[in-house]
Amino acid sequence: MELDPLALSLIYQFGTNAAFLFLAALGLIVILGMMNIINLAHGELMMMGAYVATIAHNQAGLPFPLAVVVSFFSVALFGTVLELLIVRRFYGRELGALVVTWGLSLVLGQGTFLVFGPFMPAIKIPGGSYSYGSFSFSEYWLVLIGISIALVIGLYWLYRYTKYGLQARATMQNAEMAKALGVPTSRVYTLTFSLGAGLAGLSGALLAPTSTIAPFMGQQFVAPAFITVVVGGAANVISGAVGSSVLLSAIKTPIGMAFGAFLGTVALLVAALIIIRIMPNGISATIQKLMDRRRAASIS
Amino acid sequence: MSSKILSLIGGDADVGTSRIFWVGFVIVVILFALYPTQASEFRASNVAYYLLNIPLGLGMALLWGYCGVLSFGHVAYFGIAGYAYGIIAGNMAGNSFGPIAGVLGGLLASALVAGIFAYFVFYARVREWIIPILTLVLTLLLETFLGQTAGYQWRVGSVLLGGYNGMTGIPSFQIGSFVFMGYSFYYFCMVIVLVCYVSLRMLVNSNFGQVVFAIQQDPLRTETFGYDIRARQWLVFVLSAILASVSGLLYVQWGNYITPSQVGLLSAALPVIWASVGGRTSLLAVVIATIVLNWVTFTLSAQGNQYAMVIIGSALVITMLFFPRGIVIMAAEWIGRFTNRPTKSTGG
Repeated sequence: MELDPLALSLIYQFGTNAAFLFLAALGLIVILGMMNIINLAHGELMMMGAYVATIAHNQAGLPFPLAVVVSFFSVALFGTVLELLIVRRFYGRELGALVVTWGLSLVLGQGTFLVFGPFMPAIKIPGGSYSYGSFSFSEYWLVLIGISIALVIGLYWLYRYTKYGLQARATMQNAEMAKALGVPTSRVYTLTFSLGAGLAGLSGALLAPTSTIAPFMGQQFVAPAFITVVVGGAANVISGAVGSSVLLSAIKTPIGMAFGAFLGTVALLVAALIIIRIMPNGISATIQKLMDRRRAASIS
Repeated sequence: MSSKILSLIGGDADVGTSRIFWVGFVIVVILFALYPTQASEFRASNVAYYLLNIPLGLGMALLWGYCGVLSFGHVAYFGIAGYAYGIIAGNMAGNSFGPIAGVLGGLLASALVAGIFAYFVFYARVREWIIPILTLVLTLLLETFLGQTAGYQWRVGSVLLGGYNGMTGIPSFQIGSFVFMGYSFYYFCMVIVLVCYVSLRMLVNSNFGQVVFAIQQDPLRTETFGYDIRARQWLVFVLSAILASVSGLLYVQWGNYITPSQVGLLSAALPVIWASVGGRTSLLAVVIATIVLNWVTFTLSAQGNQYAMVIIGSALVITMLFFPRGIVIMAAEWIGRFTNRPTKSTGG
């Protein structure tokens, strides 16, 4: 079977865009879904992940996959400290949490600039590339698409089959009741925040080879990550992240290919404004409603 | 009629209702008016810069403190107005009506963008955290767009947009043949800031202001009383965008240039910081914080101090942690405890 190179390239672009949006938004949506807190320092946590991976790979000489794992754990640890010192004072005050994490992002970005200077030597993109017709496909992006799918499965397993997942879902549904039944909700919050931070670090490390490593690199993830989260909503972490990144990529890919990357991102914002006009609580709430209706229909 | 206006100005929707307060207020205004007689044109021009940021801060206080809607992207309207003024006045250079047309065009352009944006977010009744996120995204996209407008093909009429180097040579404001520069621009800023402050005080004390405050306290209850909260939120958002544009217009008239970094992430943080540090529920507290923090940032960055953003960011974190209602407000209440004890008046 002969595939049209343009069609193949569209599919590939669609996959990379979806993987990028998913990776950029994942940590953010995990925290939002659980605790109703928007972490505006998210971009800076991704930047930290990229820095840790770069230092571990280029200076300590660790193999890249190991460096990514190291980033996950070190940023998760940093997230734990942030939660214990600052974020936990802001539960139930959504706007206060937004503002305080924004202050953190300024300090982290400028602080990194002062410590490490304006640039870091980049990581070489691992793996080669295939070419097909006049288009070329990077092996590394194919691996990232695979990792995104693995992360979806991993998170599903975590929330569905582990004790933490059960307690987390209980806390998300009704924190007071969960507490009354003996769920250590404040520990669940700490764990969730550090999981979200760790995932941000992991994504930052994974995306590091594809971008320049600089103190303010977090800013480039801000717009796509937040649009994905707004469109995804907070009703269900996994369906929100997956649904929203797939839908937005389906919008961004053709427009980006036809009119350039910037207009692709503008299209994301316009799409987000229209989508929230139709579904104010995001895709995940709509999916949830459909599933509930199906379940109700099957019971009766 | 005049007593009604006075009661609107002196109402208790902002701090300071006593006679002592108003005497102090008038003294401070007179001191600001006398400042240029004692200072060089350069220093007066620096103070004019602190003053011209006040409408932007007031817009944040109105939107966030009184209406309960947080925007991280009001600098977008600052920038849109500034660029629109630059394009219009620049193309009409030599015509003495150019600057006035630029001001009108700038205000209109900002109000239009804000109106369309606010329609989508308020009429969709989105959750409250979505608005700050989308406003931030809007301003970041604007920065990206303006940043890539370098080169000769990006021009409107005879004005170059200029990419990251920004737009230069923007005409100063003028009425007839009188050009506002140096000392006269200082007084121009001062009058505009005073008008903004006093009319906003009247607004928050009016019936409309009371309803807006009720929306912040409990949207559902306000709505069941029969008020259309979406229309009022929309109006307040557009109004605060217009205030941000006033600052943007004054800024380009002051420095005769504007760069995309004015709508970037760091600039976007500033109005939120002024409102938080001052205390968003008081217009006057935000005015004070805007002047003081601008003075601090300006002095630090004039010395080439790279820690300016770290200091400003830490100030925001510390304020949110320990002074959630704002440093100026909490300090004023602390002072008020002493001054109010013997006479039982309500000063400070």
